[in-house]
Amino acid sequence: MAYKKLLRISQRRAFRQLVTNNRQRLYRMAYAWTNDPHLADDLVQQTLLKALSNQKQLRDFAAAQGWLFRILANCLTDYRRAKREVLSADNLEVVDKVTPEHQFKDAQLVRKVRRAVQKLSINHRQVITLVDLEEFSYASVAQILEIPVGTVMSRLCRGRRALREHLLEMKPRESLRPVTNIKRT
Amino acid sequence: MNKDDNISEEQLNAFVDGELESEERSCLFSEAERSPELNQRLCQQRNLKELVQHAYEDVPEPKRPLSGRRTRTSIIGMALAASLLLVVGVTAGLFMHGYLDRAPLPGGYAAANNPQAVAAMENYILHVISGEPEQMKLALQKAEELLATAKPGKPRKVEVVANEQGLDLLRSDVTPFTAEISALARENVIFYACSKAIMRLEEKGIEVQLVPEAIAGFTALDRVVIRMKDGWQYIKI
Repeated sequence: MAYKKLLRISQRRAFRQLVTNNRQRLYRMAYAWTNDPHLADDLVQQTLLKALSNQKQLRDFAAAQGWLFRILANCLTDYRRAKREVLSADNLEVVDKVTPEHQFKDAQLVRKVRRAVQKLSINHRQVITLVDLEEFSYASVAQILEIPVGTVMSRLCRGRRALREHLLEMKPRESLRPVTNIKRT
Repeated sequence: MNKDDNISEEQLNAFVDGELESEERSCLFSEAERSPELNQRLCQQRNLKELVQHAYEDVPEPKRPLSGRRTRTSIIGMALAASLLLVVGVTAGLFMHGYLDRAPLPGGYAAANNPQAVAAMENYILHVISGEPEQMKLALQKAEELLATAKPGKPRKVEVVANEQGLDLLRSDVTPFTAEISALARENVIFYACSKAIMRLEEKGIEVQLVPEAIAGFTALDRVVIRMKDGWQYIKI
């Protein structure tokens, strides 16, 4: 009996470590989705609390990362539903004024890309950022967002096309300077 | 029709995202060598992906209350912060409960092979997020029930942490439960008001006054994580 209790404690500790280790990654994703540091932080907080309280639902530790991002996506959906708020690029300028990226020479490019990302619909934004930032496979993204893989591919396609158009509208030469060639590795 | 016109955007995406099987990938490489147009399309697609990655390499952190401050290297930062907060929090908690002269101090958070860890499973942290009076009442009743059902000779520790709308429970000018909170505090229940929730209200120009029994200085998440690391049971209300 005591052994079972000790095992449970040990498992809980491993789980909490996993949750803690993923906090910054979840935050970056939440920020990419919302463009609001406070909201992103709140969403991550909700995500981690939900994960901690629902840890028994996680059967496979190998799938834990996707599970955490799925909770994050659900938290954002709940937030948007509750607030009926359109997360637009309108307040991007205000938020960016206080970011440390201004100290760097490429701050302008960073700002432009973020603004273009925020112009995307949330569906396109989520797929693009999950694939590009976290490098999740299409199958994993499908599980996280609870949509078919085909939908992931079509959203990615339309989203990237829209993203490219937004960037071209802003400043084509500076934003989309092509690299010299594709890496062969 | 040019051959690379037959290559869809989905295929290009799958290529840059590493989703193509090896054979199909090789074919696309060969095709790109022959076709400058296809090569350029691939480059643009990859460039777009890299731009997105670059744009979110370094994201701004939210302003956080002192106790909840975290560094970008959150793994080590969180661990250190949690350990420090734990020692401070548990020491403060035990001191306030008058337990210092009755029980040995845990050294850091409870170890799995430590009998204290097993005993800690009898302790509870209640997390109140709702501003509905019924839910607040439920939380206080639960706290009372937990104290009442403790095993004889094994006093149970109970903490209540409030954030979001649940903070109303501990706001002296809002809560309808001052008497109940006071009574539970006399039974050694500790009440924590989330420092971040307080900060949020103050940013909106709302002055937050807490009941005298409430303690501020921790974020709700930090408090919950600390107690769960210590092996406490978590109940969300």
